[in-house]
Amino acid sequence: MRKTELLVGAFLAVAMLAGAASAGDAIDTSKKLKVAMVPKLIGLSVFKANELGAIDAAKKLNIDFLYTGPVTASAQGQVDVFNSLIARKFDVITTTSNNPTQLAPALKRAMAQGIKVVSYDSDVSPDARDFFIQNTAYPAMGKALVESVAKYTGPEAEVALLSSTPDATIQNEWINALKTYMAATYPKMKIVTTQYGQSSPSQSLTAGLNILQAYPNVTGIIAPDGAAVVGAAEAVKKLGKTGKVFVTGTSDPDAIRQYVKEGIILESPLWDEVKEGELVMYVARLAANGALKDNDTFTAGDLGTFTVKDKVIIFSEPLVFNKDNIDQYKF
Amino acid sequence: MTRLEQSTTQASRFAVLSSLISGWELALVVALFAVLGGFAVGAPGFFDGIGGLLQITQYFLPFGLVAMGLSIVILTGGIDLSVGATASLSALVMAQLWAMFGLNIWLAAAVALVLGGLLGAINGLIVTRLRTEPLIATLATSFIYGSIATAVGGDNPPSGFPDSFNALGIGTVDPTGLIPWQLVLFAVVATATGLLMGRTSFGRKVVMIGYNSGTAYYSGIPVQRVLLSSYVLSGLTAALAGVVLAAYYSAARSSMGDPLLLSTLTMVVLGGVSIFGGEGTITGVILAVLVLGFLRQGLLIAGYSDMVTTMVTGVILLGSIAVKNTLSTRRNLLRARLRRWRTPAHSPQTNPTVK
Repeated sequence: MRKTELLVGAFLAVAMLAGAASAGDAIDTSKKLKVAMVPKLIGLSVFKANELGAIDAAKKLNIDFLYTGPVTASAQGQVDVFNSLIARKFDVITTTSNNPTQLAPALKRAMAQGIKVVSYDSDVSPDARDFFIQNTAYPAMGKALVESVAKYTGPEAEVALLSSTPDATIQNEWINALKTYMAATYPKMKIVTTQYGQSSPSQSLTAGLNILQAYPNVTGIIAPDGAAVVGAAEAVKKLGKTGKVFVTGTSDPDAIRQYVKEGIILESPLWDEVKEGELVMYVARLAANGALKDNDTFTAGDLGTFTVKDKVIIFSEPLVFNKDNIDQYKF
Repeated sequence: MTRLEQSTTQASRFAVLSSLISGWELALVVALFAVLGGFAVGAPGFFDGIGGLLQITQYFLPFGLVAMGLSIVILTGGIDLSVGATASLSALVMAQLWAMFGLNIWLAAAVALVLGGLLGAINGLIVTRLRTEPLIATLATSFIYGSIATAVGGDNPPSGFPDSFNALGIGTVDPTGLIPWQLVLFAVVATATGLLMGRTSFGRKVVMIGYNSGTAYYSGIPVQRVLLSSYVLSGLTAALAGVVLAAYYSAARSSMGDPLLLSTLTMVVLGGVSIFGGEGTITGVILAVLVLGFLRQGLLIAGYSDMVTTMVTGVILLGSIAVKNTLSTRRNLLRARLRRWRTPAHSPQTNPTVK
């Protein structure tokens, strides 16, 4: 009861201006908003999946939606796009960043002009955005990645890591989380090498082959990057090590479907990208309405209720793909 | 053909050349006004007062800085593919000196410029001493410099430079926010390059080497020294662009310089500099920087995706090269016809080895 009163008090001015009477879960959609979604690059299926969900939610939330971004995964390209969105006076910019620091000045310029900034997937510096939607909590992802191979390789396995680049923020967070979980749960499990595929399919394949040839005792490869997991799986297939070396990683289901069916990847955790795209639009709407505080809870339609903690919203628990459920997900 | 005849054809050829180049520059001026006018009318948000328009230059002038040095190298008939890696490496060394050793950021920036010159000197020495094709030499060093940049950057490249330094990338000279520092810097560098190439013996030597390095050598021009200097200048402007980019992003990354090369090359070619050297002016390149820069930003503001702007850049590159080549082919054809018409008796003697 007191909580409701507080809420009503806090939003009285806003509610009066907007003419909305309810202070509950109903989202004020009276004013049309211009919201842009800027992925790391356009034409990648995981980001396309975000777009699908976003388009769906934008219709319900009276949002004029634009999906735009650079052709290659460059921060410079993203900044160019931000500059144009600022000039075109968008209400909200949502983005997943190619790197956290380089985008900050442009996004701060946007915020100085009253544009709300919502980051999702890969964060920018906290002072350069209003809210961040994190895919999954890092410890949960670390655990899911380790369990996805540990179940099949046993607790004393030698595993290798194949990541994207040494300075990829999110990959490094996952690697830290999985190392922490591994040390606590499987102290005898050993990481023999960490290699980088530069998010390129061919370089990831080469790195995968190198791992398998240089470390014949490796029975598991953890590849927390879309290109890396495909490269590692292809390397296992090429060297005929199917059933002896198990691969896991973070990838959209379309890219790994064949390897899951061939038994090279038995489990691979990710999250539902389509639904995440929907949530991005709900947060954009609420942020533009001024209806979201730094620490808060809110309901996003049929997605359920979410908690905001220090401007960070955790989207979901990892969703683990395996051969039984992977065909339900098409992105 | 007598020696006298030869020299008169050469003279008339130079006259044709110079009239053509100024025509090219005129076309670029028209293009610039068309771009500015077109977007001011057609893309709401593009023309937000003179201040807003000048603000837009900050988004592309680092390319202009690189284009100045690269033009000199291309005028010699060479190429510098390592400009992007040089920019990244210089910026990262500056950032690390500041972050790890607590060096004053401006001092670190000065070190970065010296480093850029050194990296350019390495390119120049490989080209002149090891007699390596500039294309291969600078391709190789671009890999080397790029890898070193990644190593210097480490897993958490520095960011968050002091605001006084960031002003170089995003600040304005006057408190009202009209004239960006970047524009002032570019004006200085562009004027200096223009004077160097247009008014000094160095500039003339560069063009002569590009036109015909053999002739230049036998005329007593120190070809190797001039070539070396041109690569040093290219490294220097690339490093300067790296420093400005670092200030603009308030961060340094090893991938930062990657987009520089191809856009800059397009600017140089669109500016009327022949990719084979010996032909072109800095004025043309400056105009091309403005045309391409405003065009790209205008397209983005008009709502075209990066995909379209990148494609348009490619089309312009092809188009400008094609137009130039067509023009020069026509010139050659004309000259060939003239020669045939004037010296019909010589034709059997010019092909004595034909069986």
